Amino acid sequence: MPEIFIDGRAVQAEKDQTVLQAALANGIFIPYFCWHPQLSVAGNCRICVVEVEAKGGSWLDISCNMPVSEGMRVRTDSEEVRAQRKAILQFITLNHPVDCGICDKAGECTLQDYHYAYNGAPSISHDPKVRATKFFDLSRRILLDNERCILCSRCVRFTREISKSHALGIEDRGDHSLVRPAEDGCFDDDPYSDNVIDLCPVGALLAKSFLYKARVWYLRPTPSVCPGCERGCAVNLWHRRPEWQLNALDPRQNTAIARVTPRENPAVNGPWICNKGRDLAAIFERARAEQAMLKGAPVGLAEAIAAARRLIEAARHPVALVSNWGSNEELAAFKRSLAGRFSAAFVKIDRQPDPGERLEDDFLIKRDKNPNTAGARALFDDAPAALPAATDLVLVWGEGGDFARLPAGAKTILLGSYLAPENGHADVFIPVSIQTERRGSYTNFAGVVSTFEPCFAKKPAVADAEALFAQLGAEERVPA
Amino acid sequence: MSARPAPRKAYWNEARLSWWERAYLPEILRGLGITGGVFMRNLWRWMTGRKGALTTYYPEETRPDYGRHNRGKHVLTQRPDGRPQCIACNMCATVCPAKVIEIDAAFDPEDPAHPKYPSRFEIDYSRCVFCGLCVEACPEDAIRMVKEVPGLPGADRHRMWLGREELLGWNPQRDVAKPYPPKPAPGGRA
Repeated sequence: MPEIFIDGRAVQAEKDQTVLQAALANGIFIPYFCWHPQLSVAGNCRICVVEVEAKGGSWLDISCNMPVSEGMRVRTDSEEVRAQRKAILQFITLNHPVDCGICDKAGECTLQDYHYAYNGAPSISHDPKVRATKFFDLSRRILLDNERCILCSRCVRFTREISKSHALGIEDRGDHSLVRPAEDGCFDDDPYSDNVIDLCPVGALLAKSFLYKARVWYLRPTPSVCPGCERGCAVNLWHRRPEWQLNALDPRQNTAIARVTPRENPAVNGPWICNKGRDLAAIFERARAEQAMLKGAPVGLAEAIAAARRLIEAARHPVALVSNWGSNEELAAFKRSLAGRFSAAFVKIDRQPDPGERLEDDFLIKRDKNPNTAGARALFDDAPAALPAATDLVLVWGEGGDFARLPAGAKTILLGSYLAPENGHADVFIPVSIQTERRGSYTNFAGVVSTFEPCFAKKPAVADAEALFAQLGAEERVPA
Repeated sequence: MSARPAPRKAYWNEARLSWWERAYLPEILRGLGITGGVFMRNLWRWMTGRKGALTTYYPEETRPDYGRHNRGKHVLTQRPDGRPQCIACNMCATVCPAKVIEIDAAFDPEDPAHPKYPSRFEIDYSRCVFCGLCVEACPEDAIRMVKEVPGLPGADRHRMWLGREELLGWNPQRDVAKPYPPKPAPGGRA
């Protein structure tokens, strides 16, 4: 453990650390653009410059590529370092258009932050800025603004080291350098391509799905778990802050997921997620079922719950198919309050892979496209090929129930969240809340439990499955 | 002094009428006289070609004592081709202390110089405090407050939203000295 001195403070560093890593690990901030903890060292942005002090004098060097050595002394905030950082920021913004007003990154842009922290002065250049391509289609999902690009090469290194698609490169030289796909359309095939949008320290790489949708300071991240597959990646769901609710514009924007970004969790996904995880809005924002029904006839929620209780009490061989999209808390509530009233309860597989969807790879994507299969299997058995013939009532919780294969004559209770044709055919249909409306946890394939928080309020006509199971299983009659 | 205090009033401005006032008719006639006098004076002024009543014909006419510090109503300025100068950066909406400005941004791939424009721009006049911070915050001189635009009052507080089309209605083309919208810059779009 070499001891080094940063700004005169003695710091214990690991043997294979760089000065930048040792400083960050000890709470001393050194700015960086091109360096990233998960990527190789490129050392091209030069903003992490520090002053190394030695007997013969001192010199400036970049800290991201400087291994620590015993007794080394560096200064991160000396007069020379400050002047050098200022000059580097002048250089980086030489051809940067500074169009923060129309840049989606403004508000969370590293260049913006560093400019205010370390430079603060307008450009001293008199020469016209070099013009480059605006809104280049890097892939079907990503736009590239070459004028904003500072050529840190994080995106290029991501495709070479993390996603291994080798889809991006930098062509031409000097201020004509451009990030370009290696072949036309090859970045479309990278299932992790959208991570470069978060990696980009400036607003050069833009998500088409988020383009000009909202300024980022109007949004709030809610910690959640991606339900796209059994990996259960930690994500942030960004939605409009309550204090910035819209009154005149489309009110759906107030309860919409504006974007999804990864939330770092080293035990599950590191700082990455796949492109499917970015499109969670497509899963959660389908048309919702918000009306309880008895054989298609709309009734109040309390009436439907009472009808379901009567069906359960009257049945001789009731069977439950529990959802593997239910949270651990909901599954436990089912086990606690309701499982005793059913002769059997099986785990149902809610979602099958979409046609053409990538099934599995050696990075993040897993074969089972449901978030909590492990949590459900810990409490309930797998469903047999066919339910017992004596079954006279089936409670189907969640999507993916195959109604054609239920025993003939069996009554059905369906708990669903989305509009579907089978809702009207069930004897009792009760709408239940979705993941963005409640708190809970999922257990992923490796047994790691991740929790998610609610972003939006549940509508009163929709039941929370956890409370619903307690009501259905209660001993005394619930007044209808 | 042994005079008995006057009995307490039932309410604070309860009328205490003298016998002359209680006689009713003389006071009615006096009131008619005041009204008729003003009417006859205004009529006489009008007949002799002068301005009669004190009414100010706003906005064609403003009184010298009409709120010098009143900033006026918001307008969106235009580019030479009539499109809004606004780039939908939301600086005005962010700085607004009453949070009354709501902007929907859209992407225009046809115009690389101005790819972002407001597809909707709404101001809630029932909540606006007329502080002028939006005008100060705007980096593009896209929103201004001008005094000569009428139409501030409204009858229903739920219908006081000002839309993009109304905000773009300010178009003082008749002013020869200062043509508006500005002429296109030579050799390119402004």
